[in-house]
Amino acid sequence: MTDSNQTAAKSKVQNPLVARLTSLGSNQSAVLVGVLVLLTIVFSILEPKFLSVATANNILTDWGSVVLIAVGQTFVVISGGIDLSVGAIIGLSGVVAAWTMSEIMGADQSVKGADSYGILAVGAIVSVAVGLFVGLVNAFLINKFKIVPFIATLATMGACLGFSVILSNGMPIGSANDFALISAMAPKTNPFSWAVIAVSVVVAVVGLFLHKSRFGLYTYAIGSNTFAARGAGINVERHITKVYALSGALAGLAGIYVYIRLGAGSPSSGNGRELDAIAAVVIGGASLMGGVGRIMGTVLGALILFTVQSGLIMIGVAPDWKKVVVAVLIAAAVAAQTLQNKNGRK
Amino acid sequence: MGAESDPFFQAMKLGAEEEAAAQGVTLIWQGDPSNYSPETQIPIVDAVLAQQPTGLVLIPTDPKALQASVAKAVAAGIVVANVDTRVEDLTDVLTFITGDNEDGGAKAAEALAKKIGYTDGKTYEVVIGLTSATATTNVARLEGFKAAVASTYPGIQIKDVAYSESNPEKAATNVNNWLTKYPNLAGIFAIDGTNASGAAAALEAKGLVGKVGLVGYDAYPDNVAKIKAGIFTALIAQDPAAEARLAIKTLVEFIKTGKTSTAKEVVIPNVALTAETSEADLAKYTYVAGK
Repeated sequence: MTDSNQTAAKSKVQNPLVARLTSLGSNQSAVLVGVLVLLTIVFSILEPKFLSVATANNILTDWGSVVLIAVGQTFVVISGGIDLSVGAIIGLSGVVAAWTMSEIMGADQSVKGADSYGILAVGAIVSVAVGLFVGLVNAFLINKFKIVPFIATLATMGACLGFSVILSNGMPIGSANDFALISAMAPKTNPFSWAVIAVSVVVAVVGLFLHKSRFGLYTYAIGSNTFAARGAGINVERHITKVYALSGALAGLAGIYVYIRLGAGSPSSGNGRELDAIAAVVIGGASLMGGVGRIMGTVLGALILFTVQSGLIMIGVAPDWKKVVVAVLIAAAVAAQTLQNKNGRK
Repeated sequence: MGAESDPFFQAMKLGAEEEAAAQGVTLIWQGDPSNYSPETQIPIVDAVLAQQPTGLVLIPTDPKALQASVAKAVAAGIVVANVDTRVEDLTDVLTFITGDNEDGGAKAAEALAKKIGYTDGKTYEVVIGLTSATATTNVARLEGFKAAVASTYPGIQIKDVAYSESNPEKAATNVNNWLTKYPNLAGIFAIDGTNASGAAAALEAKGLVGKVGLVGYDAYPDNVAKIKAGIFTALIAQDPAAEARLAIKTLVEFIKTGKTSTAKEVVIPNVALTAETSEADLAKYTYVAGK
């Protein structure tokens, strides 16, 4: 810890040198890890209980749902777009999955443990399908009607919120569940739950997809210069469709994750999450202008976001001040990276 | 009425329909689907008045902005009642029927004290989950809870409050962190349906069901089922259907006889639903989804 602390402190003083050294690996990621370590040290000094497996589990459980939509958002942002519907998709897909499991499969909240696995698997498929469908609607509005992504996804966000209230009457729908999936596997020693491990695998696969495949290359190309990408023979419309479909499907996956966490599908369970996702992407170093962004940045960005939120509760910051502190930290994280980039280029 | 999507108003609608059928009167039920605001409500009230009803049950979304609508109705010879919320000047209003959120907060403190086996001289750590700093029902419930703690249960220490922003997952996050920070936490007051869902899930995931007292609010069917499972110590329920039934009964009585036995202002108390509450009462207070 202290070593990392010194490294973080040094990196502020000898910025250009450290930047040159770490640029061998990933420059951006090193800064974000430094921020994370620094935050952990500060919170742990102010509240020793922060440095615990329980806290790590709390943070990772929060991270699980948002990192899924943030990873999808990373693709969308790199392609030069934005997806505001992902929070509402969490609510809608969770409600539709819960409705399917309770109304069609007849499973109420007393169905638990191993009995729930099969039912939850069906719920997961339904949830992802709902997200995928909304993603395709987004792509359709953007491609066919040339509606800018901000407005197209704002419209589907409203529609998703509306449909989830219609289906649920505004109340949570409870059905089969197993909370063991979401709680730490060994509360004293291991902060990773099965759900968090599953999310990490998905994130790793999608990350490799972005950085190692032609699909990823096309995404960067379209975001950097759409005309050039078209000129190079990329079917831009078809690619954009895939990007929004991926973002929607990942939001659907986040929907079943939140369902498992709450034991119910609730229409408001994604409220405001689109902004958390965008914050994670931006903290992670992606540019809202398109063409720039990395999955590792987003993963660490989401981790920083929830470390801060957890830390502020743990050290007892008054609730009205929490939002202000989070806002300042986001601005600081982004500003730090902009400066880092400038220094790195010198 | 207020926001149509709110389960509270859905339950109220059902009560209104029942009573209208029992009294043999026709009910016109109108409201904005999701906005609770005078901007959307005033045109809706105007449209309803144009249909020339005999009586109007109004749930004003703003005490000042809807005053003119009441005057307009009375000038047209329409009898007006207020339910849940009121206009500033009740002179022209036949009766104002509402639930008591402060009383609900006090009942929550009582239920929590009973669960933790409150004894004078000992101290107990309690936290409160709210949805925001400005929701008026949240504020009234919090005031009621604090007043009861100050007067009757001084050993209860309110360690922290946090906001869920209407998102049950954020409510679960708050509770998770509290459980880590306060290993001796005695109880949680989850001030509305969203916080109740999130807090219940957090206790289940941490395996602390029954060990930490949890008093929630709002009788969503999913939460009512969790009283039996021992997850909720108590759920404080309002009775929106009773408010609507009494309002319609009063209007019909006044229109037919020219007088009414209902008082000018009626407060229908909140009730605490616990494991001891009878099945019939649980069913009575559970919010029912309207069709």
